[in-house]
Amino acid sequence: MTAAQPAVPPDLRARVLDASRRARAAGEPVPEVPAISPAEAFSRAADALYRTLSALESAAWSRPAIRDLDVQGLVGHLTGVEDDVRRCLAGDPAVSLAGHVESTQAAAARQAGRDPAQTLAEWRDAVSRTLALVAARGHDGLDGLDTCVALHGMQLPLRALLVVRAFELWVHENDIRLAAGLPLAVPGPSVLSLMTRLAASLLPGAAVRAGVPGPGRLHLVLTGPGGGTWDLEWDPEWDPETASAARPGPAEVSIVADAVGFCRLVSDRMTPAELAPYITGDRDQAAGVLTAAATLALDLPEFAAAG
Amino acid sequence: MGGTDALLAARLTAGDDHALAEVFDRFGAAVYGAAAYVVGAGGGAQDVVQDVFVELWSHPHRYDPDAGSLRGYLMLLARHRAVDAIRSELRRIARQERHYRLTIDEGPPSPGEQVLSADLASEVRAAIQRLPAAQRQVVELAYFEGMTCREAASAVGIPEGTVKSRLRLALAKLEAVLDRQLLEAP
Repeated sequence: MTAAQPAVPPDLRARVLDASRRARAAGEPVPEVPAISPAEAFSRAADALYRTLSALESAAWSRPAIRDLDVQGLVGHLTGVEDDVRRCLAGDPAVSLAGHVESTQAAAARQAGRDPAQTLAEWRDAVSRTLALVAARGHDGLDGLDTCVALHGMQLPLRALLVVRAFELWVHENDIRLAAGLPLAVPGPSVLSLMTRLAASLLPGAAVRAGVPGPGRLHLVLTGPGGGTWDLEWDPEWDPETASAARPGPAEVSIVADAVGFCRLVSDRMTPAELAPYITGDRDQAAGVLTAAATLALDLPEFAAAG
Repeated sequence: MGGTDALLAARLTAGDDHALAEVFDRFGAAVYGAAAYVVGAGGGAQDVVQDVFVELWSHPHRYDPDAGSLRGYLMLLARHRAVDAIRSELRRIARQERHYRLTIDEGPPSPGEQVLSADLASEVRAAIQRLPAAQRQVVELAYFEGMTCREAASAVGIPEGTVKSRLRLALAKLEAVLDRQLLEAP
């Protein structure tokens, strides 16, 4: 068009944004991801890892994976975690403060010299027994999945623990895939959605622990299937006694990142630089938040200390 | 990176209302201009702009960054919505015209309606006159006499299905005329 554009009425922007938010609430991703239970997320993550392990060449089982563990040792470590989870569900206080690595070291070590098929079968059986216990809890009207459990230094509802476990299985599946020279796996949107929600909910606490200056407000946008948008706040100096006292308004920073990449960041498998998020607002504060996110280490060992 | 259409689309899909505000700030004036070009500046154009952005926000995945720019997508959406608004207005005017004929003592249409009647309805009427007689007859009965398809079928003495098929053919031609009149840039 060659003619000058007519001036936009001054109230049109607010009218359009209000109408849009009425049509679809802010923060809700579309299309809607089918909701699944945390137990289902854990089960799917276990199935995915089982498929990967079942397809491994025999030589891959002895390749270095993480820390001092080869692939077979890592699977043994996971068997040890399942053993501790079952003890946790049975109320054994010994596992509440046990170290995630130390407590499972014996299970990892005993895989040396074993047939990988035996290691795989043992882990699969351990997962099945965990799922059976969780299913029994899920049917328990009094306790259910909201019961707080204690494992490896964490105290959290059972439903959150199951998502953390799904996280752990996915992360270690990719450790194994990297060791075997396979492309990385991506969780399905329903599983990823639970993982991103969990990671987002833990971020303010991580920011405070990491000493990110506050009060702060984070607009976090995780793109792709299983992503979403969250407005989070943290305040290191928040005190219920003085909560009504005047405090400077929180500075807002906005971080936009790929949902899968963000999950790799919070599991300490990707650096903020590799994530390459889109940032608006105070870049130093954003960098602090991203560094704090990496300390969550949702593959568990460090999370134990954080949780 | 942040300014790319693909990232804006991904942010909209993730429910990022800040992205929606950014899109409005970047393209709102152009969308309003496209709407105003078709329906005239004012409330009608504002309604079109609102429809366009609500559509984008409600169904962001319908925009494919690989298929073209976000600005182009929004402009196309605006023109379609504006033409829809004109079509709707024409039908309303046709209904009202029939009403005036039946209630001749009532007051005249508003100045806005008169303008629309003069400029757009005349285009449609001219197009109607160019329709084949059989199609013109059912259009006049359905839109200017307000008959249902069944009533028109009875009046003409043809099956109802024939009335519907003639109406479809006639409306397709009329819409083509409207598209040429309203969508071609000067």
